[in-house]
Amino acid sequence: MKAYKELYYQLFDGLHRFSYSMVRSKEVAEEIVSDVFIKLWQIRARLGEIGNLKVYVYTITKNFSLNYLQRTYKNAPVSIEEVEVEPIVEMRNPEELFISAEIMQTIRQAILQLPPQCRLVFQLVKEDGLKYKEAAEVLNISALTVRNQLAIAIRKLGETLPAPVQKLIPATKLFSAS
Amino acid sequence: MTEERFWLLFSARLSGEATPEELAELEVFLQENPDAHLRTGMIENIWSVNPPLSEDYKEAAFNKHLQRMSNHFSEPVLQYESEASEEPVIEKKPRRVIYRVIGWVSAVAAACVLGWYAYCYFPFASEDVNTAQAQNTVSTKKGSKSKIQLPDGTQVWLNADSKITYNENFQDKLREVQLSGEAFFDVVRDESRPFIIHTNVIDVKVLGTAFNVRSYADEKNTETSLIRGSVEITLRNNPDKKIILKPNDKLIVDNTEAKAETASADIAPDKHRSNRSSLLTLRKVSFKENESGALETLWVKNKLAFDKEPMEDIALKIERWYDVKVIMPDDRIRKTEYSGIFENENLEQLMEALQLTGNFHYRINKKEVTIWP
Repeated sequence: MKAYKELYYQLFDGLHRFSYSMVRSKEVAEEIVSDVFIKLWQIRARLGEIGNLKVYVYTITKNFSLNYLQRTYKNAPVSIEEVEVEPIVEMRNPEELFISAEIMQTIRQAILQLPPQCRLVFQLVKEDGLKYKEAAEVLNISALTVRNQLAIAIRKLGETLPAPVQKLIPATKLFSAS
Repeated sequence: MTEERFWLLFSARLSGEATPEELAELEVFLQENPDAHLRTGMIENIWSVNPPLSEDYKEAAFNKHLQRMSNHFSEPVLQYESEASEEPVIEKKPRRVIYRVIGWVSAVAAACVLGWYAYCYFPFASEDVNTAQAQNTVSTKKGSKSKIQLPDGTQVWLNADSKITYNENFQDKLREVQLSGEAFFDVVRDESRPFIIHTNVIDVKVLGTAFNVRSYADEKNTETSLIRGSVEITLRNNPDKKIILKPNDKLIVDNTEAKAETASADIAPDKHRSNRSSLLTLRKVSFKENESGALETLWVKNKLAFDKEPMEDIALKIERWYDVKVIMPDDRIRKTEYSGIFENENLEQLMEALQLTGNFHYRINKKEVTIWP
């Protein structure tokens, strides 16, 4: 049970975020993650047979989330490419990054404008630290596609940032005696 | 280097997927284009920030999950799993997993059916069926406490040196548990399935309520303190006698008297401590200023409380709470009464505080506390 709890704590963030980006309700996402863990509990004796647990749980989470969408909405998407994805790029404290709230907003906008699959790739690789190969398996696409999609996402992000001439922290501010 | 190539290499580096050659290629480019650094630096900042959800949120989610899981096993329908198994294909032995899940489900179904038959056709043997069933036991050692959730969602706080046992068929018709030691119950209401706690001397039957039961084998009394709802108590040796408690009632049963019980059980209103010899004593739970809960339940909040208790009783509590042995070579100290509420105090602090209020000396030697006048 202790190991189970640890696993839950370890995976909850990522799975919840992943599910939320598809179902867009914290409560539903929480229930879906709960269902995923009930599933894990049921098959706990055979977990050793699963090649990559991370890929496995993300995949069930994806399936459960899609099931939920199909059940809840009439014109439900049947595959992940059609899901309207809302990535949560959480940045608690922009000041820490020397980024203004305005720039933060631009970044969020940029991410929102990415195609769904691109957004999911960005989220799985950035937020959840999945390898290209793992994200590819979860989303049922090739690793090469993951690689390219991520590059597109990062490029879009880079292009929305202010021009490179503008220094982030003026050197004077850093070194002047206060 | 093309713009496209640059972003490809850069994103590969961010996600730790770049090959050494790619890293070198990117490094060369960045050295030749110092301006690009500013942009990449900013993205790197954004990339590395990943605030996790708060532990509290996770904790709450996990508790909710356990609740759902226990509900699920009494009525197994995964909400978001479609009928057709949507199991992802597992690299090794994928089919087997699916079949085994089905196998598991049918095994449970078969067990249920068999159980039902056994129950119908061997009513007289049902006792044996019950005892043969796997039991779940949760116990605590001296010096530790625990909180558990039963399959019906009922929450149980288990005090030190206590044990609670329930059968696999816990949820069938009755929710029955066996308790030795002390526990606080917050029972989920379910009128169709009464909740019954068996102790050595009493049975406590409830529908949905919160109350504390203290039933240590080495103590004189068994105490039941009701916080809300209502409970019905029967003496094991005299099942006809039923006592209904109202909120804030506390029933004290004398363990030795109860075992030698005759049919004439009378409730003596609490007059004085000297009235100990009567079998049953009904009094009120105690409240202290600045404490939100009844004194009897403060242990749940990790507070050790005494209310005009003789040192001999306090010693028992201390022994369990701190996992020590209390020795009182001189009998005079045993009957002296003390009160106090202690939170997060260690043994030394507690003894120091008690000593301030009463005339005694003490010495702590590892796991042994000696008290003398």
